[in-house]
Amino acid sequence: MNFLSRFLFVACVLPAGLSAAESRLSFNRDIRPILSDRCYHCHGPDGGNRKADLRLDVRGEEAVLVLAPGEIEASEVVKRIFSADAEEVMPPPESHKTLTAGEKAKLGRWIAEGAVYEPHWAYAPLVRPAVPGTSGEHPIDAFVLEKLPPAAAGLAPEASQERLLRRLSLDLTGLPPTESEREAFLKDRTPGAYERQVDRLLASPRFGERMAVWWLDIARFTDTVGFHGDQNQRIFPYRDYVIAAFNSNKPFDVFTTEQLAGDLLPSPTVEQRVATGYNRLNMMTREGGAQPKEYLAKYGAERVRSVAAAWLGSTFGCAECHDHKFDPIATRDFYELQAFFADVRQWGVYHDYTYTPNPELRGFSNDHPFPPELQVESPYLQAKDRRAREALVRYLQETVQAKAPAAKARASWLKDSAAWVKEHHGLWAPAPAEAQRFKRGQTEATGVLTAAPGGGLELGAKARSGDEVKVTLKPAAGRYASLRLQIDSVAFPPEDAEGSGLRLYALIHRKGGKDRKVEVQFAEAKHKRPRYRNGAETDGVAEGWRLPAENPAEPLSAVWVFAETIDFREGDELGLRLSYDVTGTVRFSLSPFAALDPRTLDAPEAVAALSAAPASRSREQSLLLSELWLGSGAADPNALATARRLAAEVRAAQGGRAWTLVTEPAPPIPVRVLPRGNWQDESGPLVLPATPSFLPGRRVSTPESRLTRLDLARWLTSAENPITARTVANRLWQPFFGTALSAVVDDLGSQGELPSHPDLLDWLACEFRESGWDVKHLIRLIVTSRTYRQSTVMRPELRELDPGNRLLAAQTPRRLEAEFIRDNALFVAGLLNLEAIGGPSVRPYQPEGHYAALQFPDRDYVESGAGEQWRRGVYMHWQRTFLHPMLVNFDAPNRDECTAQRTLSNTPQQALTLLNDPTFVEAARVFAARLLTGPQTTDAARLDRGFILAVGHAPRPADRERLLALLESQLQHYTGNPDESRRLLAVGLQPAPAGVAPATLAAWTQVCRVLLNAQETITRY
Amino acid sequence: MTPLSPDLINRRTFLTRSAYGLGGLSFALLADRLLGAGADLPAEPGWRGTLRRPHFPVKARRIIYLCMAGGPSHLETFDYKPELVRLDGKVFPDSFTQGQQLAQLQNTVLKARGPIAPFSRRGQCGMEVCDLFPHIGALADDLCVIRSMKTEQINHDTAHAFMNTGSIIKGRPSMGSWLLYGLGTESENLPGFVVLTSKGRNGVQPVSARQWSSGVLPSRFQGIQFQSRGDAVHYIGNPDGVCQSTQRQVIEEVMRLNGSLAEEMHDPEIATRIAQYELAFKMQASVPELTDFKSESPAMLERYGIKEPGDGSFASNCLLARRLAERGVRMIQLYHRGWDHHSDIVGGMKEGALAVDQATAALISDLKERGMLDDTLVLWGGEFGRTPMGQGTGRDHHILGFSLFMAGGGVKKGTVYGATDELGYRATQDVVDVHDLHATLLALMGVDHLRLSTKFQGLDVRLTGIAGNVVRGVMA
Repeated sequence: MNFLSRFLFVACVLPAGLSAAESRLSFNRDIRPILSDRCYHCHGPDGGNRKADLRLDVRGEEAVLVLAPGEIEASEVVKRIFSADAEEVMPPPESHKTLTAGEKAKLGRWIAEGAVYEPHWAYAPLVRPAVPGTSGEHPIDAFVLEKLPPAAAGLAPEASQERLLRRLSLDLTGLPPTESEREAFLKDRTPGAYERQVDRLLASPRFGERMAVWWLDIARFTDTVGFHGDQNQRIFPYRDYVIAAFNSNKPFDVFTTEQLAGDLLPSPTVEQRVATGYNRLNMMTREGGAQPKEYLAKYGAERVRSVAAAWLGSTFGCAECHDHKFDPIATRDFYELQAFFADVRQWGVYHDYTYTPNPELRGFSNDHPFPPELQVESPYLQAKDRRAREALVRYLQETVQAKAPAAKARASWLKDSAAWVKEHHGLWAPAPAEAQRFKRGQTEATGVLTAAPGGGLELGAKARSGDEVKVTLKPAAGRYASLRLQIDSVAFPPEDAEGSGLRLYALIHRKGGKDRKVEVQFAEAKHKRPRYRNGAETDGVAEGWRLPAENPAEPLSAVWVFAETIDFREGDELGLRLSYDVTGTVRFSLSPFAALDPRTLDAPEAVAALSAAPASRSREQSLLLSELWLGSGAADPNALATARRLAAEVRAAQGGRAWTLVTEPAPPIPVRVLPRGNWQDESGPLVLPATPSFLPGRRVSTPESRLTRLDLARWLTSAENPITARTVANRLWQPFFGTALSAVVDDLGSQGELPSHPDLLDWLACEFRESGWDVKHLIRLIVTSRTYRQSTVMRPELRELDPGNRLLAAQTPRRLEAEFIRDNALFVAGLLNLEAIGGPSVRPYQPEGHYAALQFPDRDYVESGAGEQWRRGVYMHWQRTFLHPMLVNFDAPNRDECTAQRTLSNTPQQALTLLNDPTFVEAARVFAARLLTGPQTTDAARLDRGFILAVGHAPRPADRERLLALLESQLQHYTGNPDESRRLLAVGLQPAPAGVAPATLAAWTQVCRVLLNAQETITRY
Repeated sequence: MTPLSPDLINRRTFLTRSAYGLGGLSFALLADRLLGAGADLPAEPGWRGTLRRPHFPVKARRIIYLCMAGGPSHLETFDYKPELVRLDGKVFPDSFTQGQQLAQLQNTVLKARGPIAPFSRRGQCGMEVCDLFPHIGALADDLCVIRSMKTEQINHDTAHAFMNTGSIIKGRPSMGSWLLYGLGTESENLPGFVVLTSKGRNGVQPVSARQWSSGVLPSRFQGIQFQSRGDAVHYIGNPDGVCQSTQRQVIEEVMRLNGSLAEEMHDPEIATRIAQYELAFKMQASVPELTDFKSESPAMLERYGIKEPGDGSFASNCLLARRLAERGVRMIQLYHRGWDHHSDIVGGMKEGALAVDQATAALISDLKERGMLDDTLVLWGGEFGRTPMGQGTGRDHHILGFSLFMAGGGVKKGTVYGATDELGYRATQDVVDVHDLHATLLALMGVDHLRLSTKFQGLDVRLTGIAGNVVRGVMA
């Protein structure tokens, strides 16, 4: 048999779809995937790896020569692919790539038909296709129906109303409907009832939170830097920006521009600058021994991969080292795209190591943030600040001022205090001091400090780290609540490494008694430089007072408030161990007063309040007196503890402000083509910013006029560039059908997938762009289609024909994303906290020791308190190296880089999480309490309500029966084991309601665990 | 309406094929990605791997990788350099270091540091092993030491990524994930890829869960980290106040409820979910049984040098590794975080050796006595080595030459493979890079590294990338 007859033989056994009656083969649909996967590696765009100087990705002269279009007998390609000779056959055996008989036949037939090439679909100009079928049909349905085979006989029936509303709610907001929303929809028989639900949900602020999860994967948003010590970075305002952008339906082109180049817009707003946090979300390092230049190269390369994946649906990664094997992406394209970002101010290694000195980062420690940052107002923190202040004032007014039994004691304290202030001309009594100097680790003093004029001490030469001064204060007898240290004539150290500063450790020496440590409750200074712990500014100066860089007009002063007041008798002393890194004169004073903000004691207002006549006191003065009274040691210690807790909450709100990573433009660093991606090889040419050479509407820098990130952003969303609209429209389809129209959403290149409905995708992309990049418009179009509203029940005849449901003759069940599995469980339980939008990340319960392998600095995980504990999953702290196990187990990505598609697994770890993670256990018991305290009077009715809440419909009779039996048996069990009930009901922070028998609650908790574990609960059908 | 398009027909036919194992492994995963929930693929229970039959004869069925995180010095373990002894304290020759990458020794004067401890010839084979490791040295005739390793990454984080995944690009699967994906697991009720960590006294460096991530492979192939505090595996213990019988009832009801959903819905995920709940319940029983050392004799604990069973020490983890191996776990990776000796290498190496020498040797000889060493491959080594130049009282990171050893499953015994130059600076003879090591490990497991791949963003992603040569010289 010669090769031609072999070919003809094969051609006779073509797969079913390729009958002679079939229209001509399409290059994009039938041929490109084969050539790309089996041939382009050696005969594709990568010039560096090309064999025999032959490329088959374009129809050049050599290609025509070997293909011999229309003359298969003369075709070298046909001869080679059908050859049985190992020396001759293509692809060669060592490539481990083979062609199936069907693929060989296709290639043969395509050549016979003339070997017609088509431009790659994703790069072809975007032209709006005509909507097929009858007019008046929803355009999406028209495109879908056109492709359905006759056997399908149209779309599947519509899902039931209950399923439909749950589906729509989960898809648009990540939350199921409430009971009343469900009832209202089920009752609404008027036309447009469904569309009204769509409008309601699109207008819900929960929509922005839901869509943020979609975008934050793409933007690689995380709370930590990712490399090595994986320290915290301050970035949550960027997340708030994303949520707000979706809620306000910010046009996607504006959204694009603000993130990539908001800082380059004329007079950028704070919002636009916050958006540029996008450019800063690459992983960063501060590892000792890391080379700044190497890491700048890594950051630059990552940015290319992420931007190309996010906006171009293209895989630029390979082009870092060589021309892309399958797509026309040249190495130069990679570096030209990188050059757009050469002006993003960033450091390769965020530290000032002696071997890689970086004066700009002087004083950085492992705890330091990652500049450039911008301080912004956070609406969430502002509200928190307001609430905390109000709560504190209310407490002081209601609890302290109104406490009648203490009124007499308070009056006498006020009188004594006024007298003390008068006698001491203020709130402070100077304490005579003497001091000895000690070298690090030595017990013998090396000298004494000289007394300064006016009672202070000269610190003398700057101490080395670890050196100490032991100060002895000899106060007059009396009760003291605070210590003040003033320092003046400061000579500032040239290098002030973070972590140092001035610290003190206090002991009381009782005359003839033992030393006792003095606990400091809080310390604060008016003038200071920030100190950090794990990226956050430390609260107060008790852990170290870092002096400001310059002397202010007044003496520097810090106040330490003792945890409890101390009664000094004659001869008692206060010993201080002081470590410091400055020189200057220090003075010590003691005060009988303590304030919630220690700095108050330094302010004239305090003296005025204490001296004011009762009748003339202002409201503020009365409040301040209440505060001082609480701190006096004579008042109720519990009330003081409460007030201090409330004051700490005020401080935690940080005045309603927060820092966030931003892009700050700097002179661009040179970017050159790195041969094989090697950052040490400087032989490659320097490049300037340019848009990819293979895409239409190319923009190129000239030496005189360098393109900027702004130019890039504008080109991405320009009319000429077809791929951004296709990428985003395709990706917006996925949340609503499980699979995008082109399923490989991160690669629209030749190794990706031709869309299942190419015309529909192009139509949607046009609609998206021409609507002004209106995201809500596109989503509304999708969810109002009949295609979206189909039942997920696939007709048996279609299962065989279309097992992946790519023809869309039914809806596809979709397991919820990790965040929404959490949200749904908490919402069903009635525990989800939906009070606010945005704000800092929260820390749900997490197994202990999960961060044990993290260092630089060591990491504590402090779970959020009640309230913030139950915020939505989108706000969960995202630790790149050790993501929360619940997120990991449900396939959330660690977001090291742009992730457009989450994997979808079904594992025992998921079962273990839903069964045993305290978040879900607590949700189950709160859910149980909700059912037990509801209006239902029978267990069956409670169970029906539980089903409706969890899955949106009443139970099947058999399920109801079984779960009632479970309830019965568990009730018996827990009645006989009260200790188990008690332990179960103690899981989580939410208290169990009073008035419900523990055994009943525990038994119902088991029923609710079953509901929260059900496949139907974590899936939207 | 048009008839069903050929591409859909085609997709269907190849799916049918892949279901019968003819479609090739990357097709199976592509189908997974393309079809999402609809893919007709075997789920984890009974996951037998994408390779229906091995490419090569199987020498090793599992790997125990003792990862000395931080980068132990080759000059104080397996690579004796008399010339370096002679040069101790003198300026390190420029000819070696010019143009080469440095970590913390950037911008400093480079001086040679001789080995801090003597070496002795050990075993019949007479290989030189540092005296700090007497127990490992006693097993010299079982070891295959590679003295000519080199890597490409000079910082811990990226060097670990390179050693585990063959790439520093994020999202590349760890070698344990590759083994699980390709070969499946033999353990019914335990994860197939288990990671244990322990912390040294000095030279401690962080390690990221990224190192055992399944990357672009489905997350069911990720390494599962066992914890030394709290539950051994996250969420393995019943909630407080839930006894075993209640837990069983709850799980049964979940499975039943899902079963009744399956009657209504054609959703293959439901059946998988039911199976996963069954497996989860079995794991809840098998993990405590695994981590309970009661069945181990006091002599056994002493042999490994375990002070407190289950204390998370390297010694305790070594015994746990043997128990995991007995239960058919495919890949067991032990990190010992304590080898980053920039300073006080004298104290650091002593501490490090004290923590791992006895336990490592106990593990190898224990496996041997049980007849398991024949098909268990033990790998011992760090993400890089250390400079022959001193750095203060220690040594800096070094990537151009370092040592590691293998024992068991299919490797030559009592063998030293490759060599560095006279100062231990650069691997010069039979150089083995990380891709070669990976190719060799896979070959010992019966896998052709060129034929274990997955499609991602249009590429055939492999553990060895586009490189890697099997090192025949270390294979028996």
